[in-house]
Amino acid sequence: MKLTRRDFSRLAGAGVMAAAAPRLFAPALAQNKPLRIGIIAPRSGAAGTAGECGIRAVQWATERMNKEGGIAGRKFELVIEEETNPKDTIERLRKLILQEKVDAIHGLISTGVSLGVAPVAEEEQALVVMWDGTTQDGVKEMMPNPKYVFRSTDNECEAVMGSLLAVKHFKGKFKRVAGINPDYSYGRNNWEAFKQILARFGVEAEFVAEQWPKIGTMDLTSHIAALNAAKPDLIFSSMLFADLPVFMKQGHAAGLFEGVKLVLPAAGWQINQLKKEFMPEGIVFGHNTLYFDHPQASALQKAFVQDYVERYKEVPHWEADRAYFAMATYKAGVEAAQKALGKWPTQEQVAEAMPGLEVESLGGKGRFRKDKIAEQVFYQGPSTNSNKYDFPTLASIDTFSAEQLQKPPGADFWEWIKTAKMPV
Amino acid sequence: MSTPAIDVGWGAVVQRVTPRLNGLWVLLGLIAVMALLPCIASPYALMLMLPFIGYGITLLGFNLLFGTTGLLSFGHALFLGVGAYTAAALTSKFGILSFELLLITAALASGLISLVIGALCVRYTRIFFGMLTLAFGMLFHSFLFKFYSVTGGDQGMRVLRPLLLGMEWRGGKTAFLTGPFYYYTLLLFALLGLAMWRITQSPFGLHLRAIRENANKAAYVGVQIFRMRLAAFVISAIYGGIGGTILAVTTGLADPELAYWTHSGNLVFMAVLGGSGTFAGPAIGALVFVLLQDFVMSVTQYWRFVMGAVLVLLVVFMPQGLSGTIEALVRRNGGR
Repeated sequence: MKLTRRDFSRLAGAGVMAAAAPRLFAPALAQNKPLRIGIIAPRSGAAGTAGECGIRAVQWATERMNKEGGIAGRKFELVIEEETNPKDTIERLRKLILQEKVDAIHGLISTGVSLGVAPVAEEEQALVVMWDGTTQDGVKEMMPNPKYVFRSTDNECEAVMGSLLAVKHFKGKFKRVAGINPDYSYGRNNWEAFKQILARFGVEAEFVAEQWPKIGTMDLTSHIAALNAAKPDLIFSSMLFADLPVFMKQGHAAGLFEGVKLVLPAAGWQINQLKKEFMPEGIVFGHNTLYFDHPQASALQKAFVQDYVERYKEVPHWEADRAYFAMATYKAGVEAAQKALGKWPTQEQVAEAMPGLEVESLGGKGRFRKDKIAEQVFYQGPSTNSNKYDFPTLASIDTFSAEQLQKPPGADFWEWIKTAKMPV
Repeated sequence: MSTPAIDVGWGAVVQRVTPRLNGLWVLLGLIAVMALLPCIASPYALMLMLPFIGYGITLLGFNLLFGTTGLLSFGHALFLGVGAYTAAALTSKFGILSFELLLITAALASGLISLVIGALCVRYTRIFFGMLTLAFGMLFHSFLFKFYSVTGGDQGMRVLRPLLLGMEWRGGKTAFLTGPFYYYTLLLFALLGLAMWRITQSPFGLHLRAIRENANKAAYVGVQIFRMRLAAFVISAIYGGIGGTILAVTTGLADPELAYWTHSGNLVFMAVLGGSGTFAGPAIGALVFVLLQDFVMSVTQYWRFVMGAVLVLLVVFMPQGLSGTIEALVRRNGGR
């Protein structure tokens, strides 16, 4: 076959077009592909139920947001990996970044794990929005001025609020105080914060017992015996894993709670397991950033709670709100960055756009501060067993914003707690 | 006149024409394949090889104690913890970034600690040795967990990127880990493999095997049981400390879970999986464990169940582990 000059020109033209096609159409094609969002959350062990609750919420958010057009017009899908110990979770994070090539990573509940993950995420320049797990210790060292990592509200917020409500509701009604808190930085910080707030409000308390069960300890009889022997008027416990229902059940059986006031700032995490049969009334009961039964709940919360209860036959807790909040702020960040730039933003540009954007989350409005720490709304109050459920609800709801419970940017938590203007 | 029968089976032919494959060649072959991996494997696959190298080195030492001497430690993760926290303390608290110094200090720290612990543990054998090592492992874990001001408690301590041969490597952490650090640790793996092979083939190794087979008889012929066991314990700890340093640099964190008893259990799992009766078996076990866990974790949230089932099946149907089973199959096919 003879190849004419015209044929050659046609062939060459077609070749050039073919070679250029991937470059010409790559951005358009890339933007038609669904976004991939990595989720890292515990699915078993002491924090397994919390992780599942967050995953369910983020799956609900994915369904709902995708129906409404996705994120900046792009549908998105989830790639879920399990949060376990720091070493293995860092490997899962790297898998999401290097192998799955996700556009962002959400999740993480354990402080120990999140503090290990944060520097790796910064080094890999991967946008990470954490659901939880930001106890104060180590944050300054492990996450100094993060560029890509967004943190939840300080974990001590709920203890600060519980302590303030203990002052509000119980001041003058107790003298002997005991604490039983999980044996790690979260439990220790919460107990210390509680003691400092009592002191600040002039509550003259005698601290008669301190118990530190290891997370996941399912036989708490020795701890309960020690508390019983100390004869406290008030017990403060920031237990929040599967061991909290065990503590309440075994404590009830041992008569520990008779005539004793209780402050459980993180009990909402185990709401479905805290049955009325062993839960006394009048506990200062913390629901953190989502109270499922709020009478003035937003339409978004009502729709979510209704779907959740129908699908899973239990009520959601704050981890659902954290997961939804992470997704909503990420969505807002991508859309704001895309609008400002006129093109699809990089992870760095999304991270720059996210702070300050107010979004509606399940539990209320929230935002990330400039230092990439979340500000959300907290719900606690005295509990009641007079309701349609088989677990307690709140007799009255105290609502505080994170600005009232959280140290301002750059401040030291322990200095702040000594001098901050408290809302009670 | 009848001619004597000559074994002309395939096995005999193979044995005559090729040098017998031994554990060292298997290990070095594996390392040679790994040296080529950066040409074909993705960065993530290379990242997965780093824990393998860390565990592989640890298991070379672990098997000197378990496979060669017959002492099963349930607390060997303690030395991974010592190596990891040594790296964390030196890089984060003292600003020492030389990887060579980290390795030497980790080896020294592990050696010293194991000298004390070993002096108490190696007087016992079987379950008593296992329980004592478990107890020391948990004691160390409690120390790491409780002494917040020193160790960072549950939040651990950060391990900064080290200098290799005094050189700072630019670029991202992934590029560092999958490039110079990968080759550096792979070379270290090969050298420590050679050293361990030399140890196991030496008169000292022979003493250890004699102790494993029958300690009383060995003592009768003059083997110093306590000294030999203690030396094996210290050497295995040094390997553990070096392995822990590599794991900690890879993850960038030293945390108490590294020294937890479940991690010690993983080491036993890897050794059983690969086969503690062969030189390279535990290292192969480490590789299979790392790849299997990565795969199963991605496929199902019930990955612990799957890993447990694998262990059960292994113990029931392949008590010699992967390498032992392959060796047995090769022998059978070779008519031996």
